[in-house]
Amino acid sequence: MTKRLWTTSVLAVVVAMLFVACQATNPSPSPSAPAASEAPPASEAPPASEAPGSAAPPASGALPEVPTGYTELDTALGPDKPYTGKRVTIQTQWIEGEGANFDAAVAPLEEATGIDVVQESIASQHEVVLRTRISGKTPPDLAMLAQPSAVVEYGSRGETTNVATFMDPAKLGSDFSAGFGTALLSGDNGEIWGIPYKVDVKSTIWYPIKAFEAAGYAVPTTWDELKALSAKIVADGNGSPWCLGILDGAATGWIATDWLEDVMLRTAGIDAYNRWITHDLKFDSPEVRAALAVLAEQWFTDGYVNGGYQSITATDRLESWDPMFQPEPGCWMHRQATWLGPDFFPDVRAGGPGTQSQYVLGEDIGIMYFPQIDAAQGTPGLGAGDTLMVLVDNPDRPEIRAVAEYLATPFGLKAWIDIGSAQSANQTTPAEWYQSYKQQIAADIVGNSTSFGFDASDLMPPEANRAFWDGITAWIDSGGTGTDQFVQSVDAAWPQ
Amino acid sequence: MAIQSRDHAEVSAVRRFAPVLAALVGLAVVAIGVMILADRNAATNLLSSIYEALGNTQGAVDLERGVGDQLQAKLLLGLVALIVGVGGIWMLYVGVSAVVGLASPTWQGRILPWVFVIPAVVLLAVFLVYPTIGTIITSFTAQTNGDPLANYKQLLTPQFIGIIGNNIIWLIVATGGSVLLGLGIAGLVDRVRREALAKTFIFLPMAISFIGASVIWRFMYEWNPPGQPQIGFVNAVWTALGFAPVRWVQDPPINTYALILIFIWLQTGFAMVVLSAAIKGVSIEVIEAARLDGASERQTFLRVIMPMIKGSIITVATTTAILVLKIFDIIYVMTGGRYGTDVVANRMFIEFYEFFNDGRAAALATVLFLAVVPIMFFNVRNLRRQGIGS
Repeated sequence: MTKRLWTTSVLAVVVAMLFVACQATNPSPSPSAPAASEAPPASEAPPASEAPGSAAPPASGALPEVPTGYTELDTALGPDKPYTGKRVTIQTQWIEGEGANFDAAVAPLEEATGIDVVQESIASQHEVVLRTRISGKTPPDLAMLAQPSAVVEYGSRGETTNVATFMDPAKLGSDFSAGFGTALLSGDNGEIWGIPYKVDVKSTIWYPIKAFEAAGYAVPTTWDELKALSAKIVADGNGSPWCLGILDGAATGWIATDWLEDVMLRTAGIDAYNRWITHDLKFDSPEVRAALAVLAEQWFTDGYVNGGYQSITATDRLESWDPMFQPEPGCWMHRQATWLGPDFFPDVRAGGPGTQSQYVLGEDIGIMYFPQIDAAQGTPGLGAGDTLMVLVDNPDRPEIRAVAEYLATPFGLKAWIDIGSAQSANQTTPAEWYQSYKQQIAADIVGNSTSFGFDASDLMPPEANRAFWDGITAWIDSGGTGTDQFVQSVDAAWPQ
Repeated sequence: MAIQSRDHAEVSAVRRFAPVLAALVGLAVVAIGVMILADRNAATNLLSSIYEALGNTQGAVDLERGVGDQLQAKLLLGLVALIVGVGGIWMLYVGVSAVVGLASPTWQGRILPWVFVIPAVVLLAVFLVYPTIGTIITSFTAQTNGDPLANYKQLLTPQFIGIIGNNIIWLIVATGGSVLLGLGIAGLVDRVRREALAKTFIFLPMAISFIGASVIWRFMYEWNPPGQPQIGFVNAVWTALGFAPVRWVQDPPINTYALILIFIWLQTGFAMVVLSAAIKGVSIEVIEAARLDGASERQTFLRVIMPMIKGSIITVATTTAILVLKIFDIIYVMTGGRYGTDVVANRMFIEFYEFFNDGRAAALATVLFLAVVPIMFFNVRNLRRQGIGS
């Protein structure tokens, strides 16, 4: 027994010493590893850091010019690269292609400053993971979030940083438009809780160009033309005008609320729209009911939606537009934001990531503007976007501010824009950066918009947003007969 | 002789100090292990310093940055957890009990039970009692606007009464369904020739997680517009029988029962296995006596076997009931609480993560806790009566 005990304790001592040794070596890798990570860039670094001084033009292509208007970013881009080897973590909801695009967007900053920006991509439940980390007081340094209302909530709890404390609020105010700007992210006392980053234009309808040409259909530019087109498609026996499926698991409903928001902007106007967001205009109001009536006509008329209106809430959102790709389309129009694209074409989805689609955007599949309804309300645009939150801010880690400031400039998204699929929230972004078919359509919509509304449901309090999603889903299932129930349920769910 | 006695003295000194040393070492291992487990980056740093030592600089950098495959770091963390959890704790217990062994027998008897109980008590206090009390306090203090009962009053609105009502439907139908079905099957398979095979098939779903089962059933319940081919199995059969396809998941009130069916499918196997074992425990003499007295098969089952396995039935029913009250996964995956299928646990999740209503989420957690406690109490008392708990 004694012998065994001894053996055990000797073994334990060895194990313990091993642990202690490892613990002791722990601090050492931190300095040594950055040194190692320094090494590869170091060889490339001289030309990169020389660039701002000696050869300004190539540098200006990928990086903002100093002075950038932001303190820490200027310091970071300074010749002595003071933040070399510092690591900044950012949690995003972008995976695979989108995640790689974001990495590409921050690469120029990493190269020029030596800051290591580590993206922590959370595939599903990004918001839940973020909430857990923030509640547990171990947040990532930065995070992207699609719901401004949640950003403001984190701000009011003191869990995210007021960026106005280190960034010029006036500059932020003018860099970002009223549609997706600091006003949506402000606290009660002028705090700015987040920085707009990337926008999606939502007022877009996808359609099969060649099938439209073959059938002799013209792209409608007014609502009357759209109504005529819907009627004609049905009369021609060419299937249904709309490809519409809103099933999206726990988030079911948002596609329908987007529709209603687009219509609200066109029938009630931006002022009523903004009052609607703050509940100064009730759901139970003539404006909302009128907008619902517009929807009801397109959604509930027999034959207008592929599979009938009962299929809307039971059809997966990503599969819903598949019939559009048939040689003789089963449905002809699919209203969805600009984030949609070749990655979501049926042949790519079937083939998996990396598959090359047989359809070409701009040749086979086109994008049109969701038409004007009431000329008095002009040609509004609807959009949504991602907001950057600065979750860790302390004097020892100025590099976090530098990264946030970089992402606030158009250059923070440039590489992603160059890929052809992103739109910056920053309105100082040069128009010539947008080269792809999709970007130009989106830029046109933004440019031609007489008013621009941000996704209302993302700005409403979360309870109201959820009631809105659930309510409109139930309303669709009722075939439009449950209007009273729908509008009253959302009004009732609004937090007091 | 003198030398021998010195040896004796040495040996007894060793005897005296070895346990103390072992206890200290055990403590050190546990402490260091816990430190490593508590630090988010410790395992990564440890592995990267090993990489560094081996000259694999790129691997070390990748690990540090958190990019690439972190499998090895995770495995190392698992290994540390295993060493600490099993080895460290074992050494600690052995060492401490040896230390206690140095004391006089009377004191040994007094101290030893505590030595073995205290770690468990500490862990329970830290990870169970403290959060429970914290949650209850939160439910009375967070977002109350001065009224401590505000969060509970909100639970009395029709919306939440509906949610609690769903939990009651679940409690009755899901518990009743799986226990009765399990009991029935246990009674029937007792007399088939390929009993093991039959039981295996019914028990098989037990191996699937609630999440996995829900994903499977999402396909089973899939709905396609009338006239189109039905991809979902249930609707395929349903339309083949000449009915119109039903949106099993979306249309209340049928959807709640459709979800309950998933639970029953998963849980019947458990009830069946336990109850089947109980039935086999009923001695053949008793059954034969009943038969000789002229009891029919049904009477034998209902009046002889069932009363004799009452304890097992209660255990299965209460265990299942607790599981049902906490039900979350199926709702979360299938409907997210939509279409009138919401239950308390799912609502708690939504209130906390989506709505930032910490107080109301805590109130829901407290209600759920209060609902589970009596059943657990009943279960423990039942076990004790059967002589398992005492």
